[in-house]
Amino acid sequence: MSGVRLAQAALPRDITLREWLLDGASWTGEGGILPSLVDTLTLFGAVMLVATLLAVPTAAVLAHLGRARLIGAWLVNVGRAVPTFALAALLVPISLRAGYGFEPWPIFTALTLMALPPMYLGTYTAVSGVDRAAVDAARAVGLRGRAVLRQVELPLALSIILTGVRVSAVQVIATEPIRAFLGGDGLGRYVRDGLGQRNTTLIVGGAALVAVLAGLVALALAALQRLLVPRGVRRLQAVGASRDVPA
Amino acid sequence: MSDANPLLRFDYLVDQRAAIVAAVLEHLELTVATVALGLLLAALLAGVALRWRWLRPTISAGTAALYTIPSVALFALLVPSTGLSRSTALIPLVAYTLVVLVSAILDGFDQVPRPVEEAAEALGLTPRRRVLRVRIPLALPVIISGLRVATVTTVGLVTLAAIVGQGGLGRLILDGLRRAFWTPLTVGAVLSIVLALLLDAAFVLLERRLAPWAVRRTARP
Repeated sequence: MSGVRLAQAALPRDITLREWLLDGASWTGEGGILPSLVDTLTLFGAVMLVATLLAVPTAAVLAHLGRARLIGAWLVNVGRAVPTFALAALLVPISLRAGYGFEPWPIFTALTLMALPPMYLGTYTAVSGVDRAAVDAARAVGLRGRAVLRQVELPLALSIILTGVRVSAVQVIATEPIRAFLGGDGLGRYVRDGLGQRNTTLIVGGAALVAVLAGLVALALAALQRLLVPRGVRRLQAVGASRDVPA
Repeated sequence: MSDANPLLRFDYLVDQRAAIVAAVLEHLELTVATVALGLLLAALLAGVALRWRWLRPTISAGTAALYTIPSVALFALLVPSTGLSRSTALIPLVAYTLVVLVSAILDGFDQVPRPVEEAAEALGLTPRRRVLRVRIPLALPVIISGLRVATVTTVGLVTLAAIVGQGGLGRLILDGLRRAFWTPLTVGAVLSIVLALLLDAAFVLLERRLAPWAVRRTARP
């Protein structure tokens, strides 16, 4: 069994950033920027989907019931403390020995575990922080348990829930490039290849690609958040923002 | 093949124990240096934000923006200028601590109750003493919990500094991956996870000791 793959085709050392980025061949075909981008976004999407489905409903229901406050806080702290790169690396030989290969299970698992704590904490804090008066009013007009959660608590908590999801997403997209150092590819591959070939163009170009993608994802999610939160709730929060709404 | 290359070979542990200890020490050294430098710089930035209030949003946004730069990119971007040196690892590591530390210091100062400050003023404490004797001690629990997050995050990021040739335990991990020899990988990964959890626990104890009245949860997604 061989170790982590190295770059297949070395780029000429003297190629400039402009030449590399303007050459169509850098973008398409095997190992091109576009397929790598698709790779990265696919993993990102899968991680976010699974993590959101795991964290948000669980936290919302637990917060609604007022359960698991301490154990949740403890798990969040432990989850945040575990280094993602080390965890993903630790999973690599386990995945290989189980016959699943370098990718995608180790990095997928590590990134998903990294994504859970901010979402869980955001949702839990948001739902349990909903104004008691609103909840009591909902009960008084006859809403029961789950309807209170769905029709009152979740809409009022939405903005903070989405903040948690956004924090997770930004961390995941910013961490995903470590995959290239764990036997995978994705958009981080150019930094790895550049370091391996001592090619400054690839290092700088690769780092720029990764950074631009993370910035775009952060901006897109901030826009999405504005779009998803109902205007009334937003206005409500603008009023309450000076009080104790966590950032 | 499973026996030739298990996840952990004990003879390697015995043979390489000096190298493993050295890696742990290097990891700790880099972590401590990062957090110390980060705290110094964060204190300066927070001081500026408190003195010139209009700069505060800029400083908060700037440190937050630094934090969104992917770690792989930030380590790599410095290689052309600083090579595979200690600084190449240290600069991004310090940059990543700033968002947590600056906001911890500012939050800590913000939550000092007004009446306490007014009482200190009424007692005739000079502005300098008011900061040193009243505001800093009262802000300490929040600052410590910021230090906790910064330290634990740094332990994880130091592992990644191995891609620019630094960072103790991360080098064992990369070495294991390159040679597909799992023992160093397991040792490096497990020890860095253990180190992060131990430091996290140490900070919890410190928080309890320094501010037993305020076991405050940093509820911040």
